[in-house]
Amino acid sequence: MATITHEEAHTHTHGPELQHQFETPEQQKEAATLGMWAFLVTEIMLFGGIFMAYIAYRWAFPEAWEESAALLNTPLATVNTVVLLVSSLTVALAVNAAEEGKKRRLVTMLVLTIVLGLTFLVIKGYEYSEKFAHCAGAKDPISWITGSDLHESHECLVPGRGFHFPAEHGSASGGHGAAKTATMQSGHQLFFLLYFSATGLHAIHMIIGLGVMTTILVMAVRDRFSPTYFTPVEIGGLYWHLIDIIWVFLFPLFYLV
Amino acid sequence: MAEQHTHAHAHHHGEKHTHISRGTYYRVFAALMVLMVLTVAAWWVEKNLIELPGWLAVTIAMSIAIAKTVLIVLYFMHVKISSRMTQVYAAGAFVWLIILFVITMGDYVARGWPPQAGPLP
Repeated sequence: MATITHEEAHTHTHGPELQHQFETPEQQKEAATLGMWAFLVTEIMLFGGIFMAYIAYRWAFPEAWEESAALLNTPLATVNTVVLLVSSLTVALAVNAAEEGKKRRLVTMLVLTIVLGLTFLVIKGYEYSEKFAHCAGAKDPISWITGSDLHESHECLVPGRGFHFPAEHGSASGGHGAAKTATMQSGHQLFFLLYFSATGLHAIHMIIGLGVMTTILVMAVRDRFSPTYFTPVEIGGLYWHLIDIIWVFLFPLFYLV
Repeated sequence: MAEQHTHAHAHHHGEKHTHISRGTYYRVFAALMVLMVLTVAAWWVEKNLIELPGWLAVTIAMSIAIAKTVLIVLYFMHVKISSRMTQVYAAGAFVWLIILFVITMGDYVARGWPPQAGPLP
């Protein structure tokens, strides 16, 4: 550790961001990083519950899983995967820019990240609206909004009383050992329940992540960061990467069954 | 990969400040893209060309997802150059997840639920 004289000399060289309970900026950053990781562990366990339910029910209803996944929009999800992976790169580059004290590059990367995050949410929103439009009887979201052709669709994949899995796509309405009644369709409905819960919770995290990135952007514009202090960029980045990792698993588990 | 960069001036207290270079970030990103294409290609092949047993398709998809996660955690999330304590926390999350999955599924399988077993061995 630092000697007394070193430390005294030090108190004059650090910025106002060093809080008094920490001896050095490194110690403060280490504490913040560790705290963020502790939070990320709880986040992983939160999604872990959904993944656990997914494993148990996929085990129980393998055919229903395969038939249901075929009705999700895989091309759009693939585009979204690329969008999120690129946004992870821009976040990593933002942290790198902050570390090197390059404000212009930091701001550019943060803006890019926010744009990519919004792109992801728009695509995800379109996917959701497709499913809800089908429940309203429309064949796509556009005709749902304009109110034309309201009897084109005979499927409803949103879990609930109106849930109707199209007959031509599946024979095994319940899967193994389940009560096979026309209204229950338990296996298929469980798949879509998990799909909406998992991607919905993920989308909520994206919205929070966008809030975090916007805050960091404002701080960056106001010159709050320096090569010795950029902890918010670093741990905000950790959060963003976690959202990316969750999607890395959601994508093959729901779209590539 | 992670180039050492030691500044002569203050703030370092003898601790080597390591960082990951931008070139590494681009290479990791390229690897992530390749893995992404691989996982979609594997899915397409399995749907349209050859029928693989369910457990094999799941194993391929999950192996690729785990490889992507390892790359993101080590490089983008800086765990490779973090303190040992942070590394333990990061690894801990996945250890707890495995405990959750293994014990729960072990119980279901041992009890014979559902009545007919799924495709996984």
